[in-house]
Amino acid sequence: MNLSINIGNTTFRNPVTVASGTFGHAEKYYNLDEVKQLGAIVPKTVTLPAQTGNPPQRIIETPSGMLNAIGIENPGVDGFIEKKLPTFKKIGIPLIISILGHNDDQFRILTEKFNAVDGIAALELNLSCPNLGHKTLVAQDPEATFRVVKLVKSLSRVPVIAKLSPNVTDITVIAKAAQEAGADGISLINTFTAMVIDVKKRKSILGNFTGGLSGPAIRPIAVHMVHQVAKTVNIPIIAMGGIATASDALEFLIAGASMVAVGTMNFVNPRAPLEVLQGIKEYMKENKIDDIKQLIGNLHKN
Amino acid sequence: MSKIQNIFKVVSNEKLCPRFFRLCIDAKSILKKIQPGQFIHIRATDGLEPFFRRPFSVYRAQKYVEIFYEPIGPGTKNLALKKKGDDIDVLGPLGTPFSLPSKNIKQVVMIAGGIGIAPFLAFSDILKKKKNLELILLYGGRTKGHVYPMKEFKANGVKILVATDDGSIGAKGRVSELFSKVKTDPKTTFLYTCGPTPMMAAVQAFAKKYNLQGEAACEEVMACALGACLGCSIKTTEGYKTVCYDGPVFDLNKVIFH
Ligand SMILES: Cc1cc2nc3c(=O)[nH]c(=O)nc-3n(C[C@H](O)[C@H](O)[C@H](O)COP(=O)(O)OP(=O)(O)OC[C@H]3O[C@@H](n4cnc5c(N)ncnc54)[C@H](O)[C@@H]3O)c2cc1C
Ligand SMILES: Cc1cc2nc3c(=O)[nH]c(=O)nc-3n(C[C@H](O)[C@H](O)[C@H](O)COP(=O)(O)O)c2cc1C
Ligand code: FES
Repeated sequence: MNLSINIGNTTFRNPVTVASGTFGHAEKYYNLDEVKQLGAIVPKTVTLPAQTGNPPQRIIETPSGMLNAIGIENPGVDGFIEKKLPTFKKIGIPLIISILGHNDDQFRILTEKFNAVDGIAALELNLSCPNLGHKTLVAQDPEATFRVVKLVKSLSRVPVIAKLSPNVTDITVIAKAAQEAGADGISLINTFTAMVIDVKKRKSILGNFTGGLSGPAIRPIAVHMVHQVAKTVNIPIIAMGGIATASDALEFLIAGASMVAVGTMNFVNPRAPLEVLQGIKEYMKENKIDDIKQLIGNLHKN
Repeated sequence: MSKIQNIFKVVSNEKLCPRFFRLCIDAKSILKKIQPGQFIHIRATDGLEPFFRRPFSVYRAQKYVEIFYEPIGPGTKNLALKKKGDDIDVLGPLGTPFSLPSKNIKQVVMIAGGIGIAPFLAFSDILKKKKNLELILLYGGRTKGHVYPMKEFKANGVKILVATDDGSIGAKGRVSELFSKVKTDPKTTFLYTCGPTPMMAAVQAFAKKYNLQGEAACEEVMACALGACLGCSIKTTEGYKTVCYDGPVFDLNKVIFH
């Protein structure tokens, strides 16, 4: 059975990974034998300077999902390379590093810093970052997306994946801009901007006022967006949005994604990524599919 | 993909007093490692409602892992339905435990409010083995039905002072009413506290006034409880710290209660 997937010149042994910001940190809790079975690992987004994150309360559960407003708390690129990267590398499977710059220059420096270290399979650009001089995020503006992807692509030694935000009118326009700028892949979706109000206090619950909605609640929208993007571009897609089971992951593969990432459900069921991988293999066996590529985008007409 | 996620069996689940339940879990792998102040993270549903797991302090760890809880919302109400022989999905042990008092400490004052009593029984099981250590528990509850029968604490040689909001048992008022009844000494007293934020803030003010050292077991809403999501951070004098990984036990004087 062939489960391998290529993005740019990098090969992943299988299509199952984790979504940025939902896996990692405490090495002492890993079951290394299990983590090693994944196709790749995506650590939390790294920024140039360290970020302390947002004031509490940072998370709240919602029906079949959650809101988060962590504020990309991270040790900054130097702290990450020194302290965290070695433990991720030790796992021994491909690493996709998520980076976010607050301007083009930061994206340039981040790319150069990661060019200078070994053992990185790809860069994922978190484009849910400020679009200077505009009231939007980079991922909400096709021109800004084109510019940032083109810049990183011109410098990076490894494949570049653009991570898109669902908070747009037409996600295919942004996906097309990323492809035209040379992106090797696209990942989607990031979280939906949302809020929850404490009616007793008449205040927004999250310290940051708004947060991002994730989890199974967003899955059907994510499947639709992946399907739309898959019809528009011909580069591989890493799909995420509420994946809890193999059946959920298969929906995304059939919609046209090449890889699938488990995010929020890691918090509820840390075994979810492995169950997804196992279930995909079983489905392929039952349906006599010997190469995962036969499944990708294989959606029958109604 | 965590080596501390397991499906265990429920041994028993019973009401201990009008408001509080005790759940016993046959969890040998946790029993071997767990220390007082640490917690376990329980999946309180087979489905997705409530969405997050729920954290519980370990109330006792002798033959079984025991938790002590009050059914107040969807998670704890689901837990109250668990029966002997049921499966239960548990992550643990998690977090940083209470530190043991250093040699010069002669008096330990545990200050608990409501369900915040939960981590102290297991702790007193260990502290009672230390010689020349006076153990005191100051306990505040809403009313009589909330006050857990204290016989296990008494059996561990703990001196107990109780306050209830309505005075139906013990002194009338908040647990802070009891502070004046304890003679403390900055060199030989150590405080441990767990309970609602305003209560722990009062304990911190008391500690600052009398120059006392101590530890606080804090709470915040949790998703992963594995230090991965950075969702459970609280403010401390050393910046944001995760309750699940850096805590739940923190230096009492370093927490910034809001
Ligand atoms: C480290 C840690 C240890 C804990 N140990 C115990 C324990 O031993 N026994 C026990 O009964 N409970 C304990 N708790 C609290 C317990 O996790 C909550 O009672 C539980 O999440 C309630 O879930 P629910 O669905 O029943 O109620 P919910 O509907 O989630 O909550 C009911 C009410 O309680 C409030 N609430 C919920 N969670 C918290 C929280 N973490 N802090 C403050 N207010 C909250 C809600 O705002 C709501 O008003 C602990 C919490 C932490 C962080
Ligand atoms: C707590 C939390 C933190 C996240 N942090 C990041 C992050 O640092 N960078 C990023 O690109 N996405 C981040 N995300 C978004 C996820 O990677 C993912 O795109 C989104 O949650 C949808 O997938 P899911 O529903 O499976 O979680 C975060 C999500 C959550 C819930
Ligand atoms: S709950 Fe995720 S870091 Fe503490």
